Amino acid sequence: MNVWIIVAADPAVHGLADAGRSIASASGGEVVAAVAGPRGVAEQVARCGVDRVLWFGEPGESPVEAYAPVVAAQVTRIGAALVLAAGRSGDRVLLAAVAAALGCPVLTGVNAVRAGNGAGPVVERSVYGGIAEQTERLTGPVALVMAGGGLGRGESAPVEEVAVEAGQLGGLTVTRTTGRDAASVDLTAAPRVLAIGRGVRRREDLPMIEALAAAARAGVGCSRPLAEGLGWYPRDRYIGVSGQKVAPQLYLAVGISGEVQHMSGCRGARVLVAVNKDPNALIFAEADYGIVGDLYDVVPALTAALEQGSAA
Amino acid sequence: MRIVVAYKWAPNPQDATVGRDGRVDWSRTRATVSDYDAVAAELARRVVDAGGGEVVGVCVGPAAAGSGAARKAALPKGYDRAVIVADDRLDHLDTATTAAYLAALVRRIGEVGAVLCGDGSTDVGAKLVPAYLAGLLGWPCLMEVTALSGAPGEWVVERAYGAGTQQLRATAPLVLGVATDAAVPRAAGMKDILAASKKPVETLTADDLAEVGGVVGLRAGGVELIEARPPVLRPRRHQIFDGEPAAAARDLVAALRTEGVL
Repeated sequence: MNVWIIVAADPAVHGLADAGRSIASASGGEVVAAVAGPRGVAEQVARCGVDRVLWFGEPGESPVEAYAPVVAAQVTRIGAALVLAAGRSGDRVLLAAVAAALGCPVLTGVNAVRAGNGAGPVVERSVYGGIAEQTERLTGPVALVMAGGGLGRGESAPVEEVAVEAGQLGGLTVTRTTGRDAASVDLTAAPRVLAIGRGVRRREDLPMIEALAAAARAGVGCSRPLAEGLGWYPRDRYIGVSGQKVAPQLYLAVGISGEVQHMSGCRGARVLVAVNKDPNALIFAEADYGIVGDLYDVVPALTAALEQGSAA
Repeated sequence: MRIVVAYKWAPNPQDATVGRDGRVDWSRTRATVSDYDAVAAELARRVVDAGGGEVVGVCVGPAAAGSGAARKAALPKGYDRAVIVADDRLDHLDTATTAAYLAALVRRIGEVGAVLCGDGSTDVGAKLVPAYLAGLLGWPCLMEVTALSGAPGEWVVERAYGAGTQQLRATAPLVLGVATDAAVPRAAGMKDILAASKKPVETLTADDLAEVGGVVGLRAGGVELIEARPPVLRPRRHQIFDGEPAAAARDLVAALRTEGVL
């Protein structure tokens, strides 16, 4: 049973390789990574614990998405029982192209996949924004989107370059790239996360929030509208069903109502605290501790209480 | 030029209930055209207004997707006409099958320069249909698209890329996933709604696109449900701190220090 890992430029796929290995070794298959992106990405993926890497050459002016047809052709040629990719946008595009070529289903919200007892791999996933969870058995080829995991640091598997002609890349050319480099924060690694939602009314209020984050030594995340639309934070700060999933020691949710799509990104927290002026806000049902009050009073009070405590 | 825009008639899971057996009860929900689909329609409308042609809305869904209410909600978003596959056999479809029906619609409509989709549906939000559709059509796909200009054969696309943006040129038809904040959809006034009610709508059933099962070569099945359940929630203390903000804050901080999370 061959397991494929599809990578579009981000090599943090150690989690996928681990999952793939447990499935492949149960059935005598191999774990192959198909990588579109610079050679350095292929080399990092090679250290994730895969059996081999197929690399499609330096992209030059082509976006990784242009490689969808050639990646799909390789996977269908060699054969796949299971195809995995992380949830980043380039990975999704390549994965879906592979699934379309195989004519197979593609599933998202996957929390875990395991070998199962002889009748096919078993998948655990969240569905419909996180309102339900399902256990499913895979009885045919399937593509799965799941958390990539981190970088690999093991022995390097062989990297084979697959020759690609320009004509195979579908007429897409990058003409300009701007503003790529901004320090991104890995909220999944933060032991404490302060998340804000629409209860925070104005961008000018963010320094008050940042002061609390500093006092709590917490990373700052947000609900979806604050990262998209309002654009107060970059997209990698959005916590929710189609954003970051975090499980910190402490999750402090300020001005967040607790809708299911947000909660599926944070309910793994060890201790969850909610501050909201609505006593009926859904989030209190999933909170260990809460303060019902105006965040414009509570946030400065929390900052003061935290600063007092550390000075003592 | 002809731009096809896909939209979904779907409910918000926030309004659904889940039984102990994990079965989702949608009966008290109301379907809508997703906010994100309206953004895609707006982008298409602007491109066609600038360069001439038509915007065709397409939808695959249950019978209700062809209802008067659904058409009245969808058409004012900026379509010149719509083609709707409305069939209760197509309720809560998976990604692959949805993409297969959309591909059949795109081929049936013909001479399509681009297909635009919203960022993700209200109910599933998989963000995979555009790329799967592109795979079936043999077209390139880009997601997080924030701007589109030009014309078929000479598209200029801008998309969010990491913390910045990227501009691309495309010489072939494309499928685009439109970023949620690419455009603010127009608010439909009375005039728009009245004009929309006169726009041509073709309503089909799954039988009209019977080729989907054969031509696309979709494998039936492959995923068997073993068990479903509401999410497993950690037991929580549900302790609320009362009183003046300063006192409640101090009590909370003390509790968190005792827990060892600060």
